[in-house]
Amino acid sequence: MDTINGNAASASAAPAAPAQQNGHREDPGGFKLKFCTVCASNQNRSMEGHLRLALANYPVISFGTGSLVRLPGPTITQPNVYKFNETSYDSIYRELEAKDPRLYRANGLLNMLGRNRNIKWGPERWQDWQVGMPRVKKETDKGFEGMEGGVADIVITCEERCWDAVIDDLLNRGSPLNRAVHVINIDIKDNHEEASVGGRAMVDLADSLNKVAKEEREKVGAAAFDSGSGAGRASFDERVPEVIGEWQERWPNLPATWTLAWF
Amino acid sequence: MASTPAVPIGEQLKQLQAARKLALENSAYYDRIVKGVLPVIGPTSSIELKRWGAEFLAESLATPVLSMRDKESLTLSVLDTLKSLLEGEQDDAIVLKASIAAAASAYPVVFRWIIHNSYHTEAWEQISAIKSRILRIWDGAPAPVRLSCIKFAQRVVLAQTTSNGQEAKYGGLDISLGMVPANHPLLDPRLMEAEATGLLDRMLGVLQDNSSDALLVDATLNCLSILIRTRPSTSNRIINCVLNFNPLKLANSPMTPKNKVLMKSMEKTTRMLMINILKRDPNNQHGGRIQQYVERLMRSRAEIFDEAGRKRQLADQAAAQYGDLKRQKMEGAVTAAPGPAAPVQPVVIPPLASGPQTLAAVFTLTDNPGLQAFDATNIPANLVAKIVARTLNTLDQNVLDFAVNGVRSRLHILQAAVVTAAAQYAAQGAAVQPAALNPATAPLGVEEDDDDYEPNLDAAEDTEQILNKLDNAPPETALDEYADPNAALGLGPFTLPPPPLIDADVASKLSSVAASRVFGPLSSLLTEGPGKKAKAGINRLAALSYDRDSWLTVVTRLATRSTFGLEEQQQPAVKAEEGGAVSRPPLASTFNNATREMLFTYILEDWRPRIEVAVAWLSEEWYNDQLTKRMGVQNAPLHYETWALRLLDGFMTFITAQDKVLTRFLAEIPELSRELLGRLKTLCGDPNTLGLAMTSLLYLVMMRPPVRELALDTVGRIWVEYEEARPLAAKYLSKWRPGWVEQQMQLQAAQAVAGGGNGAAIAA
Repeated sequence: MDTINGNAASASAAPAAPAQQNGHREDPGGFKLKFCTVCASNQNRSMEGHLRLALANYPVISFGTGSLVRLPGPTITQPNVYKFNETSYDSIYRELEAKDPRLYRANGLLNMLGRNRNIKWGPERWQDWQVGMPRVKKETDKGFEGMEGGVADIVITCEERCWDAVIDDLLNRGSPLNRAVHVINIDIKDNHEEASVGGRAMVDLADSLNKVAKEEREKVGAAAFDSGSGAGRASFDERVPEVIGEWQERWPNLPATWTLAWF
Repeated sequence: MASTPAVPIGEQLKQLQAARKLALENSAYYDRIVKGVLPVIGPTSSIELKRWGAEFLAESLATPVLSMRDKESLTLSVLDTLKSLLEGEQDDAIVLKASIAAAASAYPVVFRWIIHNSYHTEAWEQISAIKSRILRIWDGAPAPVRLSCIKFAQRVVLAQTTSNGQEAKYGGLDISLGMVPANHPLLDPRLMEAEATGLLDRMLGVLQDNSSDALLVDATLNCLSILIRTRPSTSNRIINCVLNFNPLKLANSPMTPKNKVLMKSMEKTTRMLMINILKRDPNNQHGGRIQQYVERLMRSRAEIFDEAGRKRQLADQAAAQYGDLKRQKMEGAVTAAPGPAAPVQPVVIPPLASGPQTLAAVFTLTDNPGLQAFDATNIPANLVAKIVARTLNTLDQNVLDFAVNGVRSRLHILQAAVVTAAAQYAAQGAAVQPAALNPATAPLGVEEDDDDYEPNLDAAEDTEQILNKLDNAPPETALDEYADPNAALGLGPFTLPPPPLIDADVASKLSSVAASRVFGPLSSLLTEGPGKKAKAGINRLAALSYDRDSWLTVVTRLATRSTFGLEEQQQPAVKAEEGGAVSRPPLASTFNNATREMLFTYILEDWRPRIEVAVAWLSEEWYNDQLTKRMGVQNAPLHYETWALRLLDGFMTFITAQDKVLTRFLAEIPELSRELLGRLKTLCGDPNTLGLAMTSLLYLVMMRPPVRELALDTVGRIWVEYEEARPLAAKYLSKWRPGWVEQQMQLQAAQAVAGGGNGAAIAA
C-alpha cells in the first residue's frame, strides 16, 4: 500500500511476522525489548505509539514531558489544560463531551481520548516517573505484560524538545540505577495523521531493534565473545546506530536522533 | 528454590519469573527471594539461568523500593555470587554486562557499610576483588560490557571523591569520600582519591582520543553530569576534556546513514551535557567557554547537515505571526508600573458640567474658550497627521496617561449617570448581575514547576484554567428570568427576520460569486519550490499546508463533492421542465457547476503546466461518479465524461506537435471512452499533429492494457478515415492486430468492386 515511505520496512525488518492491516499480530514469543514512548502531553503521538507497540506484543509504557496536559480548545488561546497523573483520560473525555461535543468530535479529540482510555488510566508525566518502581498494579494497561520491573530498554520520543527534556532529566537524576537505555527521537508532527504514520514507523523501528537484540540473546557461549570482529560479533548496543541509520533510509521524513543514556 | 537437574530450564525460568514477580509486588520478599535464588544462578548453572540471575541481581540491587538499610544486607549477601559470576563467566557478554551493573550498584552500598563497620574486612576484600576484576576486563571486552565498566568506574569515582552535598539523597549517589574518617583502618582517603582520579582519566580517555565510537562516547558523556555538579575536584578536568572533544570528527568520513546517526548523536549528547551544566550552574567559571563551545557546535552541525536554516526560518515565521510574546509582556509591565517619581501634572482636567454632553465636550480638556470653539476639522488631514505624529513623539508619557485617564473617568461618570437613570426605571428587586468570576470555582491549585520545557508558564496559566473551569460551569442563569417583564428596560423575545427567498436566478448568481471567491486565493498563493517537493506517496495528505497545490485540492473537491447526494433529487424536476422555455440546471448543483466552469477556464488559461490539475480534477470527478453509481439512484448526473470531453476539446484547439502532455493526460486520467479517443481523430487531419495522436494511442496500447482494444479500434478507424495516416497506423496495427489491415484492404477492394459493378451496371 504505502509505496514510498516504509514499505520496504515491513518487508525487510520483520519477515517473520508481517504486520497485518490493523496492527494486531500473532505473538512470536521469545525475548522482547521493553519500550517507552514519550511526547509532550501523553495524548496523541506517544499514545498512538503505545497502542501500536502494544498491539505488536511489545511491553510498553508512555509519558509526556510537558508541564501540563494541553489539548486544543475552542480557540488557539483557550487550550484545555489538565494536570498529569491526576486526571484520567475518561474524565477528560467526559468533560470535553459535556462542553462541546460537536467541536471535539470534529477535531478528533474525543476519538483520540476514547482510544486512550482503553489503553491506560491517564496521562503520566516523564519527570514524575520513578524509574525502577515496580508497575505491578497496572494489569489493565495495554502493553503491561513484561513491564512489571518499571524500566525500559528503549525510550522513543516524538519531538526534539521532548528528547531534550528526557535527556536533561536523566542527567539531573544522576543515573542511580546504572542501567543503560537507548533514547531515540523521531520527529513527528502533532496531528492525527502524522501520529498514525509515526506509530507505524515506531513499530518498524521496534521490530528492527528487537530482531538484533534477539540475535544477540541467541548467541551463547564462546561465539559471542572472542570470535573475531565484524557484524557477527557486534552486540545489540553496537548495532543500534546501524539499525537506526537503515530505518532512517526507509523513513526519510521522520528525522531521528539517538543517544545512549543511563537510568 | 533448589536447583534440580531434573527440572527443565524453561520450567525453572518460569518459576524464577514468578518469584521475581512476588518480589516486585511486595518488597518485603526481596531479601528472601534474592538469597533463595543465589544457589540457582551459581557458576555451575546453565547460561540461561546465569543470564537471568545476573539481570535479576542488577535489578534488585538498583531497585528504588528498598531503603539503604535493606540494601546493605541484600548487597553483602550477594557479593560472593557476583564475584563468581564475574570470574567464572568469561564468555557471555550479557552475564558480564548485568553483573557489572549490579556491582556498580553494590559498590557505594558496600563502601558505606565499610565506613561504618571497619571490622568487616571480608566484604571489603570481596568488593576490591570485584573491582580489580572489572577494571581488568574493561579493555578488550565487547561493547556492552565496556558500557557497564564505564558506569562502574563512574560509581567508584563518585564514591571516592569529596562531595559538595548538592546531589540527591537516593540510590547511593550521596555516598562520598567525605564520609570516610581520616583514621579509618581500611580506607585511606588519599589512596581512594588517587584511585578515583586514575579511573576518571581512564573514563575520559575515550574523549581525549577523540573516539568516533558513539556508543562509548555517549555512555561516558551521559554519566558525567553528576560528577561535574557534585564532585568539585573532578569538574575542571571533565569540562576541559569535553571542551577539547570534537564530536563532529566523523564529518570528514563518508556520510553513510550510520555515520550520520553517530555524528548527530555525539554532537547532540555533548551539547545536552554542556547545556545541562550551564543551566544547573549559570555562574560556572567555565560558563563563557561552554557557551562558545555550544554555539560553535551548533554552527558546525548546521553547516554539515544543512538543516538549521529551515528550522530558523520556521521560528522567524512564528515570531512574525504571533509577535514576540516575552517582549510584549515586558512592555505591558513597564507601562503598568509608571516611575515612582511622576512629575507634578501641569494639566488640570475640569469636571464636566451636568446635563447632556456632546462627544466633543467629553474629549475637550482645555478650558480656554477660544480653543474650545476652534473647529479642528478645518485643518487638512495631512497636516493633522504631521502635527499628531510630532506631538505624540515629544509628549511626556505621564501627561498622556493623565489625559487619557481623565477622559476615561469622564466616560465612567457619564455611564454611571445613565445607569442610575435606567435603574430608576427598573422595577425594584431586579437581579444583580452575577459576578463574572465565581471565586469558589477559580483556584485549581497548580503550583509552578521549574521545568523550562514551557518557558512562558506564568500567571496567565491560571486565567486559562479559570476560563476552562468557567466553560464547564453550568450556564449562568439568563438575566431575563429575573427581570420583571414589565420593566421599561426588559427586552422582548427577539427573532431574526426570516431570510429572503432565493429564486434560481439569484441562487445561480450567488453561486458563481461564491465560486469566483474560491478561486481568489489561487493567484496570490505560492507554488512550492521545486526542490521541496517531497514524495509522500499514499501518506500524502490532501491539503496540509496553505500553498497552491493544497488549495487546488480543496477547489477540486468543492467542485465535485460539495453537493454530493443532493443533485439527483432535482433531476426529475429538470426533466419535467425540459419542454418549457428555459431548461435550467438544478439549484443544488449551480455552485458546483459554476466552480467546474471556473476550474475549466483556469486550466485552459495555461493548460500545459496545469495538466496535473486537470488530471487531479478528473480523478475526483470519476471518484464522485463511482460513488453516485454506488448509491444506485436513477437519473443521477454523471460528470466525468462530460468534463473530460470538454477539457480534451479545449486542448485540441491549441495543440502543437510538441505537446507530449497530451500523451500524459490520456495516460493518467482514470477512464477512457470510445468517444474520448475519437476526438484524437481530428488531430490526424493535420500532418503536424498526426504523429502526436498516433504516439499517444500507441502509448495507451502499450502501457494501459485495459483500454488496449479501445485504442486499437481508434487506430483502425483512423486508418479507415485518414489516407495520410495509413502508413503509421498500418505499422502499429500490423504489430498489435496482425492481419487486420489486409482484411480491411480486401473488404475495401470488395466494396470497390461492388461499387464498380454497380457503376458498370448503371453505365450499361
